[in-house]
Amino acid sequence: MRISIYRFNPETDAKPRMQDYDVTPEAGDKKLLDALMRLKTIDDSLSFRRSCREGVCGSDAMNINGRNGLACLTSLAGLKEPVVLRPLPGFPVIRELIVDMTQFFAHYHAIKPYLINDEQAPEHERLQTPEERDRLNGLYECILCACCSAFCPSYWWNPDKFIGPAGLLQAYRFISDSRDTATAERLAYLDDVYRLYRCRTIMNCTEVCPKGLSPSHAIERIRLALVRESS
Amino acid sequence: MRLFLGQRAWMLQRATAVVLLVFLAAAAAMLLVGPPLSYERWHELATSPHGAVLIVVLFAALALHGWIGIRDIVLDYIHSPAVRLPLLGLIALVLIAIVIRVALTMAAHFTTPG
Repeated sequence: MRISIYRFNPETDAKPRMQDYDVTPEAGDKKLLDALMRLKTIDDSLSFRRSCREGVCGSDAMNINGRNGLACLTSLAGLKEPVVLRPLPGFPVIRELIVDMTQFFAHYHAIKPYLINDEQAPEHERLQTPEERDRLNGLYECILCACCSAFCPSYWWNPDKFIGPAGLLQAYRFISDSRDTATAERLAYLDDVYRLYRCRTIMNCTEVCPKGLSPSHAIERIRLALVRESS
Repeated sequence: MRLFLGQRAWMLQRATAVVLLVFLAAAAAMLLVGPPLSYERWHELATSPHGAVLIVVLFAALALHGWIGIRDIVLDYIHSPAVRLPLLGLIALVLIAIVIRVALTMAAHFTTPG
């Protein structure tokens, strides 16, 4: 199978280029990551991130045939050849398929991705009703692979100011948590022409999420929470 | 300024969209169901007190809706403050001027005899 990969080593290359490889998947090679690992045995200068190889760590997010996805979850069967692999669009490239996610994680930290509760801690855990727990479904599963933010035109335009779909999904995960008491502060932080309202409901995020989550739905819920908060 | 930032602007954009939608539906109904529109009929509509107020409301809603939409495009694509601020100012001025012009034109019917 033919794979065309974006190559760029800032130490030796003046500009990026595409390099074609022919690789023969062996028995047991089911996913794109398997083919990439096989390629790595042919050319060990090829760089990409990977870790868990089962769609949990989010390391191997890349642009596959024009669409962001996880190499470990993308089946080789059905991939159109040549398979064109590029780094996540809109992110600064460190080397080849490895991108700089500093900005992405700065937004994630800015939304305070942890439970805030200043009330006296109970002796045991803070309990939730099954309904309250259900509200976290579709939110807590995010693995921060950045497929969504890197497929969002609004994030491409203002990556330094717009929190982006991943960060906003995480923000809503804590806004909707019944145990969190900082909802008003969280909403006040998001009520900003850049942080939240750069979202134009393009919905690329939901379209591309490899975990099947819907950041655009979370963003809509944040907007509605802000409307309720202000009325 | 809070009215034009963040959540308020988003609400304003949706509220004005509803106003525009109602006007659009009313205009469509008028064209489809009502008698054929002639210059005299338009004139009569525009010079009736209700018609004049509605036309000013329509243009005001259009200007507000347009302002938020154009502002968003400028915020997305134009990052240099030296270009962005004068451009936003110019757009705001043009939109305000349009609404004032429409309001004055409508008012003229009621202040000028004949």
